Amino acid sequence: MTAPLRGARVMVEKELLELRRSPLLLLSMISLPFTVVLMPLGLYAWLTHAAPEQAVDFLRDLYGISAEGGKAAALAALLAKNWLPMFLVLPIFLPILIAAQSVGGERERRTLEPLLATPVTTLEIILGKSVAAVVPSVFITWIAAAIFCGGIDWLALPHMPVGARAPLPDATWLFATVVLSPLLALFGNAIAVVLGSVVADPRAAQNLAGMTVVPLLGALVAQLAGRVSLGWRFYSVLAIATLLADIALVALAARLFDREKLLTRWR
Amino acid sequence: MPAIEAHSLAKSFAGRRALWDLSFSVERGEVFGLLGPNGAGKTTALRILAGLISPDSGSAQVAGHTILPGAPSNAALRGSIGLLTEQPGFYDRLSARENLVVFGKLQGLTAHEADRRATALLARFLLAAHADRPFAVLSRGMKQKLAIARALLHEPAVILLDEPTVGLDPEATREVRALVGELAAEKRTIVLCTHHLDEVERLCARAAFVAGRLLAVHEVKSLATGTYRLRIGLDSPAEGALRTLRALPFVLDAQAEMAMGAALRANALHSNDLLVELRHASSVPDALAALVASGTRISSAVPVRHPLEEAYLALLAQARDEGLIS
Repeated sequence: MTAPLRGARVMVEKELLELRRSPLLLLSMISLPFTVVLMPLGLYAWLTHAAPEQAVDFLRDLYGISAEGGKAAALAALLAKNWLPMFLVLPIFLPILIAAQSVGGERERRTLEPLLATPVTTLEIILGKSVAAVVPSVFITWIAAAIFCGGIDWLALPHMPVGARAPLPDATWLFATVVLSPLLALFGNAIAVVLGSVVADPRAAQNLAGMTVVPLLGALVAQLAGRVSLGWRFYSVLAIATLLADIALVALAARLFDREKLLTRWR
Repeated sequence: MPAIEAHSLAKSFAGRRALWDLSFSVERGEVFGLLGPNGAGKTTALRILAGLISPDSGSAQVAGHTILPGAPSNAALRGSIGLLTEQPGFYDRLSARENLVVFGKLQGLTAHEADRRATALLARFLLAAHADRPFAVLSRGMKQKLAIARALLHEPAVILLDEPTVGLDPEATREVRALVGELAAEKRTIVLCTHHLDEVERLCARAAFVAGRLLAVHEVKSLATGTYRLRIGLDSPAEGALRTLRALPFVLDAQAEMAMGAALRANALHSNDLLVELRHASSVPDALAALVASGTRISSAVPVRHPLEEAYLALLAQARDEGLIS
């Protein structure tokens, strides 16, 4: 008698072992967070020295920044507000890199039939692959967010009044990273599993799944253009919508993962 | 009770019939061949028996598990089957040992037990020296042997082998055949799906000829006599030649072609042909010399294909006539 979901645990171990042995995939998973963290930190370091007060005042007005503590605090609040959506792109995009290869990749490498020939259940396969895609992605997102917040604080505090509170993370950041990021990671993974189940080519599935970050990038651009202000209300609605989408997508993924069709049908 | 009993199995894909009315049984400890051309439904039959796909109609019993149309995939059945898929199908970046351990654990073995059995099988299949190399760098023959090892990891009641030597070079083919021969000698229940007749002759007790549906089931040993058969074309009447040949001690049988069975008639050269069965190939010159000495005019002397091949080709011709295959 095997323990419940034991197959899922084996799938997670297998997926993570494969991930560790895939330097290019690891590199692609790390390069995006690396850019998302270092670029704004470099920009911040430069702006705190080079930006004229009038320019900072203009940005305060444009983005509705009301932070106390001078130029450094204002720029920190500015980056915190405007750059947060990029940290929400990460947990969507990173699981797609792994999960889009999962079902389609198994089919392409001809490992799907031997895998389906074992007693492992459909639920265990989907769960195992999902955990292996979501957990590292959330973990990387959290590390990137921690480095970003720590970096901003480290750069900002010397320019702020003694005893001033570190600008990051604020409540919105904590909500976005702790609550919203895992939900978005589940979303990215579920999209990738669904597309991987219906599209034969894993690369095509990955590209299609990658398109799901476009609305979030659009919101980022609209905010940078000063057209919208993404605040608590936006992130709360996004969290609820993502949760509902996750439930629907997981149900759809479970329905689409038809063992027989996966084995015998090519699109 | 047989290890496998298939009753009127049928399966279509997108309206195209892949298999229909396939019935056969396999006894415990028997090596059973499934012979047929490409597209004959052999792989579909194996996938049904392995619990990977369900039949549209018909039923089967495999290792005590029942397979019915539309029934949910049966994990217990899959755990009783060792399936060698047509392509080895392993994870490229994992080593040979890691791959076996992963599949062993997916079969329900503990990590320790999976590792122990993987080590033993790697040693048995002469892969121990390559155990820690990534699967991607192994030769095709090694990959196939590893796939057979995977099929044995959980000590299944029934082993299904789908084209075990397809795409292998001659050396790897010989190794894999030897390996399957060892399994056969261990009295394991095996269904060997192939279109290599020599594999069937060497390994199987019985073979089913399949072309969408079952064409025939033959006892392989009854077809394979081990003697040497020769077709002799004559430019003179056959009666005298037959008397001469039948008087020779090393001639087991001599018949005019027209007297032989339908399968052989299908390949007859002309009506004056004789089919001669000799005790050994070395008797051919003596037989021909005796005919010449008796005044018989010989126009040709051609070795006859193996009886299994004759039967196979005749059944294929029948299947084509019936429109079962193109």
